[in-house]
Amino acid sequence: MEVLYLLIPLSVLLVLGIIGLFWWALQSGQFDNIEREGERILRGD
Amino acid sequence: MSESSAVQQSGPVARATGGVADGVHRSDDLFGQHRGPLVVDDDFRVLDDPVEQQTFTQVVDDGGQLLCESVLMVQGMYCAACADTVEDALSGRPGVVSAQVHAATRRLTVRWNPAETRVSDLAQAVGRTGYRLLPMQQALSVSQRLAETRKALWRLFVAGFCMMQVMMYAWPAYVTEPGEIPADIDQLLRWASWMLSLPVVLFASGPFFESAWRDLRQGRVGMDTPVSIGILVTFIVSSAATFDPTGPWGQDVWFDSLTMFVFFLLGGRYLELKARDRTAGALDALMNRLPEQCDRQRADGGFDAVSLKRLAVGDVVRVQSGQAFPGDGVVLSDGVTVDEALLTGESHPVTRARGEAVVAGSYNLAAAALVRLERLGRDTRFAQIVALMERASTDKPRLAKLADRIAGPFLVLVLLAAAFAAYYWWQIDPHRALAVAVAVLIVTCPCALSLATPAAMLSSAGALAGRGILVRRLQAFEALADIDTVVFDKTGTLTQDRVVLREVRVAPGWTVEAALQAAWPMSRASLHPVSRALAVAAQGQGAVAEPAGFDDVRDVPGGGLVLTGPEGAVWRLGSARHCGLDEAQLLADGLSVADTPCAYLSGPEGWVATFVMDEGVRADAAEAISALKASGVRIRLLSGDRLAAAQRVARQLGIEDVVAEATPERKLAEVEALQRAGARLAMVGDGLNDGPVLARADVSIALGHGAPLTQAQSDFVVQSGRLTEVVQTVWLARRTLAIVRQNLWWAAGYNAVSVPLALVGWMPPWLAGLGMAASSLLVIGNAMRLARTLPPLSHTPTR
Repeated sequence: MEVLYLLIPLSVLLVLGIIGLFWWALQSGQFDNIEREGERILRGD
Repeated sequence: MSESSAVQQSGPVARATGGVADGVHRSDDLFGQHRGPLVVDDDFRVLDDPVEQQTFTQVVDDGGQLLCESVLMVQGMYCAACADTVEDALSGRPGVVSAQVHAATRRLTVRWNPAETRVSDLAQAVGRTGYRLLPMQQALSVSQRLAETRKALWRLFVAGFCMMQVMMYAWPAYVTEPGEIPADIDQLLRWASWMLSLPVVLFASGPFFESAWRDLRQGRVGMDTPVSIGILVTFIVSSAATFDPTGPWGQDVWFDSLTMFVFFLLGGRYLELKARDRTAGALDALMNRLPEQCDRQRADGGFDAVSLKRLAVGDVVRVQSGQAFPGDGVVLSDGVTVDEALLTGESHPVTRARGEAVVAGSYNLAAAALVRLERLGRDTRFAQIVALMERASTDKPRLAKLADRIAGPFLVLVLLAAAFAAYYWWQIDPHRALAVAVAVLIVTCPCALSLATPAAMLSSAGALAGRGILVRRLQAFEALADIDTVVFDKTGTLTQDRVVLREVRVAPGWTVEAALQAAWPMSRASLHPVSRALAVAAQGQGAVAEPAGFDDVRDVPGGGLVLTGPEGAVWRLGSARHCGLDEAQLLADGLSVADTPCAYLSGPEGWVATFVMDEGVRADAAEAISALKASGVRIRLLSGDRLAAAQRVARQLGIEDVVAEATPERKLAEVEALQRAGARLAMVGDGLNDGPVLARADVSIALGHGAPLTQAQSDFVVQSGRLTEVVQTVWLARRTLAIVRQNLWWAAGYNAVSVPLALVGWMPPWLAGLGMAASSLLVIGNAMRLARTLPPLSHTPTR
C-alpha cells in the first residue's frame, strides 16, 4: 500500500496538469465554435 | 439542458444554424424569403469609407505586418454549408489572410491586408456567390462576449475536473467501515481533496462571492448570499477538520459536496450565458443594415453619394422614392407623400408641402424629393423617441426575483436552525455543539433552491427558441406569468401594416376586373399603400398585361395619380376631390362607404369605381384576443392612429378600452397611469413609437417584423409575428412559474427533512452529498418537462 503515498500526490499533479492543458485549449479558441466540427460533414470538399 | 431541448424541437437544420436563429429566416426580410442565393447588386463602396469602418474593423499587428480585422454579418445564410461557400469565396483571394464564418451567429471574421484589397472587393466577391456582407455594428461587444464565455467555460472546467478527482478521493470513505482505511492514508486523501478544492473555492466560485458582496453592500439578500455562506462555511470547516481532526469543528470533511455543488451551479450559469448569447446573436442579425448612403447636393447643383455619417446640418439631400429621410428637415420640393407609420403608428401616409417639415426615419413614398436637413443624429425626433425609450426602461418597475425574495427568509431560518442546534447540543455535549451547528449549515445547502428558477426558465426559453420566439431576459417569465392586462398596439400589431382592398363598387357597364385593369398603370407606379393594395389586387385578377399606349403617370402630392392616355384622355386615381367627384353625393347614392378609407377612379366620363379599403385585421387576432380574455386577462388598445380607425378595429375584435391618437409620450403616460393603478401589464407592439411603452411595461413582447430597435429592447421577440404565439408565450410563462414553485417546494421539503437529521447529529457527509445531488437532479428533471411543447391554444390554463 506504500505506493499510495506516491500515487495520490501524483493524481493531484495530474489533474492540475489536465486543467493546464484545457486552459491552453480554451485560450487558443478550440471551444469558441464547437458546432463547427459537427458541421464538417455538410461541407463540399 | 435547454440546448438539447432546442435540438429536439427544431431538428437538424435549426441545430446547424444555432436553433434560436432558425426563426429569423422564416419571418425577417433580412434572412427571410431568401431560401436560396440572394441577388446582390450593391457596390459596397460605402464600406471602404474610413468613417464607416471604425465600427466594424480594427487594425491588428500580425508579426510586424499591419492587417485589418473586420467582423461582418453574412446575410442570406441559413445553414452550415453556407459558411463553407462564403469562406471559399474569400480564402483564395489576394490580400485575404484568413476568413472564418461562425455558422450559428452568421458572423464572418476576416483578416485582410489593406495594401492589397478593400472591403468592398471582398463584399462583392461574396455577393457573387449569393450572400451579402453587412458591417457588424457591435463588433466590440462581440469580442467582450467571447471573453466572457471563455471565462465562464474555464470556471466550469476547473470546477468539473476538481470535482471528479475529489469524488474519487471521497469514494473509499463511502464504501468502507470507519477505521478500515489506515489513518495516514485517510489523512493523505483529505489533503489531496483539500488541494483540489482550493481552486474551486478561490477561483471557480468567484461569481457567487462577487454577486453576494454586491448584494451585501446594497443591503439586500439575494440567492447568492446563502450560496456564498454555504461554500465558505463548508470549506472552512472541512479545512479545519483536515488539519486539526481533533478540534472543535468535528472531523467530517465535505469537499465532495462542496465541489459538486459549485459545479452544478456553474453548469446552470453557463447554460444561461449560452442562451443569452444566442438570443443576442439573433438580435444582432436584425440590427445590422448596410450603412445608408444619401445623395448630397453640391454647390454646382450636382449630387454626390455620401455616407449618412458625413452629412451636416444645412446640407441639401435628394431622397429617392422608397428611401427613408436621413434627418429632420424641410421639404424643398413641391410636396411629398411620406409614411410615418413607424414613428407615429398612423396607418395612412401624410402629405408635406414645400416648406413643411419631415422627420428622420419616415419614408418618402412618391417622387424623389429635395430636403434641407435641420437636425441630425441625437437631435432628431427619432432620437428623442429612442431617448424616451432609454429613460422608460430605467423607470421600469423592478420585480424582485422570486428566488431572491425567498433567499432572505431562507437564510434567517437556516441561521436560526444552526443557532438552535448549537444551543441544544451545548447542554448535552459541548464538544459536538459546533460540529452539529456546522452540519446544519452545510446540509441546508441552497443548491436545489438556486437551480429551481434558472432550470425552469432555461427549459422554457429552449422550447420557445424552437418556435422562433426569442427570450431576451429570462426573468421576464416571472413578470409575464403574473400579468393581468395586455396592451396592444394597432397598426402592424393587430392589423397588418398595409391596407387591403375590401370591396369595389363600379359604374354601370364596368366590371371589377375592368376597373382594376384601368387603375393598374397608375397603381403600379406608386408606393402609396392604397396603390400597392390595388396593384396587388389587380395582379390577383391577372391584370398584369402591359397597357399599350399609356404613358406619363403623374403624382399629385396629397391627392392621387393622374394618367394621360394617348388621345388625351385623363384618368385619375385618388381622393374624391382629386377625381373631381362629390363625395357626399356618392355616399348618398350608396356608391361609397362612410368611415372607411376609399379611393376613387375617374375617367373621361366621370366616376368609374370606388375602391373600399380595409386595414386588414390579422387573421389570428380575434382568436388570440378571445383566448387571452378567456384566461382572465384584460385587453387594451393603445394606438397612434385616428380614433375612428382604432375603434373600428376594437369593435371587430371585441376590445372595450381604446386610446387613440396617442403620441409616444402620451402612450407612455397612459401606461404609467395604469401601472400606478396597480395593473401588471404586458405590451405587444412593433413600431418605434411603441418603443418607450415597451421599455416601460412590466413585460414587453415585440413582433418580428417591427423596428429593429424596438425588438432589441423587448423581453420577448415573436419572430413569426403570429399573435397566437404571443398567447402561447403567456401560457408557457404561467406553466414555467408553476414548475418553479414546485421546484422551490421540493427544495424546501428536502431541507425540512435534512435539518432534523443534522440536528440529531445523524447526517454523515456521504448522505448529505447524495441528498444534494438527488434534489438538484430532480429539480432539473422537473424543469425539463417544459421543454417538450408549447401549450396548445385550445387549452386554457388558470393561474
